[in-house]
This record gives sequence, structure tokens and C-alpha cells, in this order.
Amino acid sequence: MTEAVQNVSQPQIEVQNLNLWYGEKQALKNVSMQISRNSVTALIGPSGCGKSTFIRCLNRMNDLIKNCRIEGKILIEGKDIYGPDVDVVELRKKVGMVFQKPNPFPMSIYDNVAYGPRIHGVNKKDLNGIVEQALRSAAIWEETSDRLKSSALSLSGGQQQRLCIARTLAVKPRIILFDEPTSALDPISTARIEDLIMNLKKDYTIVIVTHNMQQAARISDYTGFFLSGELIEFDQTRQIFHNPQEKSTEDYITGRFG
Amino acid sequence: MGLNSNANEKIAFSLLTLATLIVTGFVLVILAYILLNGYGAISIEFLTQMPNRMMTAGGIFPAIVGTIALIIGSMLVALPLGVMAAIYLNEYAGESRTTWLIEMAINNLAGTPSVVFGLFGLALFVKYFDFGPSILSASLTLALLILPIIIRASEEALLTVPNEYRESSLALGVSKWQTIRYVVLPAAIPGIVTGSVLSIGRVAGETAPILFTGAAYFLPRLPDSIYSQFMALPYHLFVLATAGTNISETRSIQYGTALVLLIIVLGVNLVAVVIRRHYRNKLKI
Repeated sequence: MTEAVQNVSQPQIEVQNLNLWYGEKQALKNVSMQISRNSVTALIGPSGCGKSTFIRCLNRMNDLIKNCRIEGKILIEGKDIYGPDVDVVELRKKVGMVFQKPNPFPMSIYDNVAYGPRIHGVNKKDLNGIVEQALRSAAIWEETSDRLKSSALSLSGGQQQRLCIARTLAVKPRIILFDEPTSALDPISTARIEDLIMNLKKDYTIVIVTHNMQQAARISDYTGFFLSGELIEFDQTRQIFHNPQEKSTEDYITGRFG
Repeated sequence: MGLNSNANEKIAFSLLTLATLIVTGFVLVILAYILLNGYGAISIEFLTQMPNRMMTAGGIFPAIVGTIALIIGSMLVALPLGVMAAIYLNEYAGESRTTWLIEMAINNLAGTPSVVFGLFGLALFVKYFDFGPSILSASLTLALLILPIIIRASEEALLTVPNEYRESSLALGVSKWQTIRYVVLPAAIPGIVTGSVLSIGRVAGETAPILFTGAAYFLPRLPDSIYSQFMALPYHLFVLATAGTNISETRSIQYGTALVLLIIVLGVNLVAVVIRRHYRNKLKI
């Protein structure tokens, strides 16, 4: 929170001509995109189109992959996150991520949520408040408040995923990336997560990768369609689904391939 | 070929069962043999007294003390070193030629005969570092001997920790080392403990490496520092059985010594099972 005044008109995330290679294989081709504050942006496209690769650039999770090379710029709140003076650890505090498979740590429910704040040096006496707040925001407080000490692995899949969201919220990020967060969940759990994401929009900027086009249509303000590493079309979700400009976008959303 | 699959199944099943029975049978026979022969020798005096009358009577207390000192000494060195090396190899070192060479070196170290370790310990610790024949020299030599076992076991344990734990911790803005310290290592501890216990068995049982580095034929008193020579159970057993003053008269003492050695190793295994179960329960539900 270095900048005292946030320029509201400025996009929070600005991607400029992003290219990415895994070894010889180019996985992203000249992708540019602007994402504004407190919006939900959905990224859709067939498997292997580069949407997950793209989202993992935004918090530099691709750094973990060998032979991954990146060109272009990603500005988050005006700062190039691939710049030389960027602390990746600080970046990831600001840009949280929820993964495809619910993956709570093998610890208690409480410890899962307290994990991030604890390591970031939050006072012991403030911890209870943070944990409760995060669990409430992730809509799982009611189900867990009486058993915070039990193992997170005793929760159902949908509950585990909401716990993972709470774990991410506890670090107080400003952007949350969701990488197919409901693909391992049943329809009821999925609906709960979708409601949750729409609520979170008030306080966070959200980017979500999804295989489920109905999901993109239901919850997002903007949608980007990826194909073979290229961002084919990026517009308001309404536009994309009702009046796509590109033939391939139309083919994909009408289910002709993918 | 002419047999139907049912008959084949029966033959395979009988052969496999037979093999299992033979193996189990041998273990049970050895255990029973040592237990029956050594049981009579065991007494409070045997466990707490010094040997006397030229080692044909009295107890094996100094050998028990020596073996326990070796276990503690070698584990103090090998466990942190081995676990740290495993963390480096598994979490930090990428796949490169150097890593491959290190892994090869560790594999070769694991296959080196223990007597070679003994000679090496003699040259390096006893002579070059001038620790003399001592608990220190012997513990360091044994530590080298078990390092590959501990590194291997720790690497295996780290490999079984799901990558999702690492990713989701890093995604929370937690540094790599903190991720290892607070998520990866706790999840790997049961595996690390299991591997380390196997190596304790080695430490307790090895004779060759301590032969050159500090084990004494007989000592009239307990070691008073890590620079003292010591007696140890396996070497004491060897001495009694091959070079003692009266080999046939000390037969029951020999089996008693073997039994005590066995009990120490089994006892340590039991402790490891308890630790492992404790951590497993903590990790699961």
C-alpha cells in the first residue's frame, strides 16, 4: 500500500505484448489486456490454450517452472512485476491465488487461515480477528466456528475450497486469481463459490480461469477468449456471449469445438 | 502352457507363499534362538555391571553405554547434515550435471563396504584430525556411513509431499525457505524418521568402522569424555565369540549380549513407530 492515492481510471492490471515460451514452445503470443479495479474477469478457451499459463504470470507462479521465458510487460498498479527490483514474495502477498484442486495444508482449520498472517508477522492478539474475518468473508465461518481446531482435511471438497479462499483472504491481497476453482467440485459447492466470488468483487479485483462457459457468463464482467496462446477477443462478458466479433469465439461459446 | 490359468494361479500363489514363509521362518528362528540362549544371561547385574574375571563373568554395562553413545553421537551429526543435504538436493538444486554427480556420489557412498569407512575414519579422524581412537572418531565415521541412508530417506520423504502444498504456500507470499520450514518439512517428518531409524540399526550393529576408530577390547572403566575409547556391543560380542579368554564358558554371555543389542535396535524402532504415528495423526484428521 505504498501509493496513497489510487488513480481510479488507471487499470489495475495492464498486460503489454506478453510472450511466453516453455523451452522452444511458445505458449503465449503477444497478449495485451487491461483489467480494472473491482471487476471479475473470466478467461475461457479450450484446454492448452494458455489461459492458465497467462493467469500464472500475474503472480509469477511461472517462475517455478524451468525453461520458462517471458517477454513483454505486466504492470500491476503501475509497476512492472517482472522489473529487476520486484520482490516476488511481496507481489504474491498482493496478488493471491486459489487453485484448481482444493489444497488445504494438513493442519487445523484455524492454522490454515492463520498460516499466512502468522508468517508475515501479525500479532498473536490480532490473529483471531483476522481468521474470523477471513472465514466470514469466504462464507465458511458458520460451518467451522465450532471446530476451528479440527483438521482442514476433515472438511468436504467444497468447504476445503472455501477454506482455501479464506486462507488467501487472510493475507489481505488486492487481486485474487482463481485457476479453475470449481472444476473439482459438485454443482452445489460450485454455486456457493460463484456467489462468493461475486461478493468478493466489492473488495477485490478478480481474474478467473474457467472451463465452464456458463460460469463465465454468470459471474464475470469481462471475458477473454484464448486460443492457441493468443487472446482472440476480450470484451464485456455481455458482448462476448451475445455479440462476439470473432468467428472462433462464436464457435467456441456455441460449443462447436473445445 | 498346457495348464489352464487357474492352475497357473495356484502354482504362483503357492510359490509366493512359500517364499514369504521361508523368509519369515528364518527371522523367527534367529529371534527364537537368540532369545532362548540369551534369556538366561539377562539380569540386572548383567545390564549394570562391568565385566570381570577376564570377561567370563559380570555384566556388559560399558558396552551398552558405548553403543548408546555411538547412536547419539552419529545421529547428532548425520541427521541434521543428511536432512539439510536432502532439502538442498530436492528443493533447491535443479536438474543439472552437478546434481546428477552428487546423487551418483551418494549412491556410491551407500554401496561402499563398511570396513572402508573404518579405514577412512582411521586416516581422517583418528590420525589427521588427531581425535585419537575415541567415541568422537567412531561416531563421525558411523555418521558418514549412514549419511547416504538418511539423505535417501529424506529425499524420498520430501518427494512425497504434494507440490500443491508448496505452490499454495508460495502463492500466499511466503518465501521458499519458510514454505519448506513450515509446510514441507512437517509433512515429510514421518518418512525422515523412518529412514533415520533404519540407520540407527546400522550404527548399533556395525563392527568394522568402529574397530579402527576407537572400540576397545576391554576397558576397566566407563568412557569419561568423547575423546575416550569405548566398548560397544557388536565388538564385545565378536571379542567374546572369537578372542575371549574362554569362549565356550562365555556362551551364555555372548547370547545375552546379542539379545541386548537386538532389544536396543527393536526398542529404537518402536520409538520411531510411535513418533511416526504421532505425526501422521497430527497431519491427517
